[in-house]
Amino acid sequence: MTETIVELKNITKRFPGIVANDDVTLDIRKGEIFALLGENGAGKSTLMSILFGMYEPDEGQIFVRGEKVRLTSSKDAAALSIGMVHQHFKLVSNYTITENIVLGDEPLKRLGPLSWVDLKGASEKIRSLSLEYGLEVNPDDKIEDLPVSTQQRVEILKMLYRDAEILIFDEPTSVLTPQEIEYLLEIMEELRRGGKTIILISHKLEEIKQVADRCAILLHGKLVGVYDVATTTTQRMANLMVGKELDFSIDKTEHDFGEVVLDVSDLTVYNEQKVKVVDNVSLKVRQGEILAIAGVSGNGQVDIADAIAGLQNISAGSISFKGEDISRLTIKERITKGISYIPEDRQKEGLIMDLTLRDNLAIKTFDREPFSKKGILQPESFEQQAEDLIRRYDIRSGQGGQTLTRSMSGGNQQKAIIAREVELDSDLLIFVQPTRGLDVGAIANIHQQILEQRDLGKAILLVSLELDEVMALADTISVAFRGQILKTDSVHNLSKEEVGQYMMGVTQ
Amino acid sequence: MNIDKIMTDGLSFSLPLFIMAIGGIYSERSGVTMLSIEGFQGFGAFTGAITVVILRTAMGSSPNWLIYVATLASVLGGMLLALLNALMVIKLKSKMTIAGVVVNILAVALTSFLSSVITGAVTGQATNKIQLGVSPRYTIPYLSEIPVIGGLFQNIYPFAFIIIVVALLAWYVLYKTSYGLRLRAGGDNPHSLDAAGVDVNKIRFSAVVLAGGFAGLGGIAFTYMMANFSPSSYVGYGYLAIAALIFGNWNIRTTFWTSMFFGFSRSFSDQLVNELGMSSNYSDLFSVMPYVLTLIVLIFFSKHNRPPRALGEHFDKGKR
Ligand SMILES: Nc1ncnc2c1ncn2[C@@H]1O[C@H](COP(=O)(O)OP(=O)(O)OP(=O)(O)O)[C@@H](O)[C@H]1O
Ligand SMILES: [Mg+2]
Repeated sequence: MTETIVELKNITKRFPGIVANDDVTLDIRKGEIFALLGENGAGKSTLMSILFGMYEPDEGQIFVRGEKVRLTSSKDAAALSIGMVHQHFKLVSNYTITENIVLGDEPLKRLGPLSWVDLKGASEKIRSLSLEYGLEVNPDDKIEDLPVSTQQRVEILKMLYRDAEILIFDEPTSVLTPQEIEYLLEIMEELRRGGKTIILISHKLEEIKQVADRCAILLHGKLVGVYDVATTTTQRMANLMVGKELDFSIDKTEHDFGEVVLDVSDLTVYNEQKVKVVDNVSLKVRQGEILAIAGVSGNGQVDIADAIAGLQNISAGSISFKGEDISRLTIKERITKGISYIPEDRQKEGLIMDLTLRDNLAIKTFDREPFSKKGILQPESFEQQAEDLIRRYDIRSGQGGQTLTRSMSGGNQQKAIIAREVELDSDLLIFVQPTRGLDVGAIANIHQQILEQRDLGKAILLVSLELDEVMALADTISVAFRGQILKTDSVHNLSKEEVGQYMMGVTQ
Repeated sequence: MNIDKIMTDGLSFSLPLFIMAIGGIYSERSGVTMLSIEGFQGFGAFTGAITVVILRTAMGSSPNWLIYVATLASVLGGMLLALLNALMVIKLKSKMTIAGVVVNILAVALTSFLSSVITGAVTGQATNKIQLGVSPRYTIPYLSEIPVIGGLFQNIYPFAFIIIVVALLAWYVLYKTSYGLRLRAGGDNPHSLDAAGVDVNKIRFSAVVLAGGFAGLGGIAFTYMMANFSPSSYVGYGYLAIAALIFGNWNIRTTFWTSMFFGFSRSFSDQLVNELGMSSNYSDLFSVMPYVLTLIVLIFFSKHNRPPRALGEHFDKGKR
């Protein structure tokens, strides 16, 4: 059972201004679940992209099943039966599941000189694969119509379709709800029983504890060590990951709340498909209060936040901010009035990926002093602000303010958004899933910042799928279910179990 | 009104437009913004025409098969210019729209210059208006007698047949083969293509070159319709082809109908000018009709259209 299947020897990979992997040596055994841990930007995705042939290492060697290999494209990886589910899915949105799965490795039918892609045959094969592994999908569905959890199944099926033996999962659980995570972990164990080798990147230590056999920890591109999961506590993993003792305790002082900042009443929102996603919702947030909307993903909580920020039109009700109705104002006007927004999808709504970090940090304030004077931009001010925020919020990037946002690791992109929004010094801050995809250190840091803002007397609306996060931070909890708020109460009057019950739609 | 003539001309306008639009579809579905259809068309037609001039002078006669040689030359000429375009946008990563405009300007300049130089050298008389022989035309018995649409089957250029066959083939390749599946993925999410182990830039390169070939075929068909080639004679058609494919939602089947729409509206307006015996001022006004229609149609329909998601984005492996 200790047969080594993959060996990485002295792998080094540099990007402009940064060493993403620094002399990393690892071996992975056949049939194990091997976890890869590390802070945001530690180089996990890079290392696995190297094993998958997407990048070539600057130095070092790779051995697969004892043989030295050179991987120049994912085709080479596929030939060695290595498959990968990327952190950001790589699917063609207007293709069916079948078309996506066969892409690059199409089964052909021939008749004389003509050959065509045998989609029907492939569809059958996919259907039976999906039944075999409990990954239920309808092969003829189009990707763009599918929820992320199904898209992820498609990525997994893509690997299985190619008979991959070594399966790499890059943060597969960061986009899933707790129930879906549970299910995915079961599937991984099932795959392991089937003899597959799994490499799992995750920030969620409990998951790793639950399924993984061994875990490697990376810190600033270097390997800290490889540990047996069974004998290592999650606290120790976390400490090794950040290279120091971590303090997870959240100290929240009780205080009285001030005036009502946000007052939403009878809000109703229809989405683009004309489906009612927010149904007659009322809520109030006061100065110094954290109101958390808990709920299973897709119960309208994000739509509430979007409506308040102005990203979605409302069809009934009112949104008043410091006593003034803002429901007809433009997004820009709402920002100027003092609303900060940390959106759920950082790449689509939070940042412009092809701008530099510096410009993204100023994107909401570039037209004010000191960033522009009489309509002329002042680059020095941009630069100054960038330097300042990078330092204070510990945003890690290869080339400081000049780094292209797209090249930053997911976690650091998130830190950049939070830095920008908090700096606006708004009276109301809306956080949607602020810690998704972040490492434990960064999460603790962001929680600290949210509490700091609370103590400064800001009103905070937090939307989170993580029940633990809600319980730890909230002063008041509202539970969203099917577009409605089922229950609103102080955190002191609610237990975690009760909130969980309401999330499932149970009302006593 | 001469319905037969509207039908006949409508078809001969539409089909070249259609095949050029298919070229655009190939390029854009692979992710490369394509504005240089017109340049490919012109340069291809020029290559075809000049080949005819050279062969005609050398042989001292002008046999019927010359038209097929011209067609082949035109396709190759279009591909040659497309090769340049592909190098610019894929290898050198220049902005796709700018490269497109540059190629169009280059095509006009190059064809007028080369026409004079080559005709001067070959025939001793420099001109940039190249006379071509008259193309044979075919009328299909019985079908051509059907009322109203009979005109569709009268006086058909040989190009019509070639274009229909090529278009069917192009449809088959784009929607049924693995090459087509990969090509279309390139315009939606090139990263997924890359992750599937396919060389995105190779696919895009080939798509652009093919676009040149299709445009060249359309170009020679137009040229034979007008019986002569001059660098100013094709101006505007390439853009009309682009309008047709946008209106056709980047889909070959719908683009067939939009090309027909543009072609027939043109033959209709021509015929109208003829019937009414209007002065040339008015006739110019009427010739503008297809373009005005284009504008109106695009304003109303482009809202529902969905361009390929990754259209116009250079593919860069390091990008994520
Ligand atoms: N294509 C690239 N160009 C430039 N820099 C890059 C590129 N890819 C990664 N980097 C940099 O290399 C470092 C490691 O990135 P990587 O994505 O491997 O981190 P990670 O451990 O996966 O982080 P996360 O948990 O946030 O996903 C980061 O600092 C990142 O900015
Ligand atoms: Mg990563």
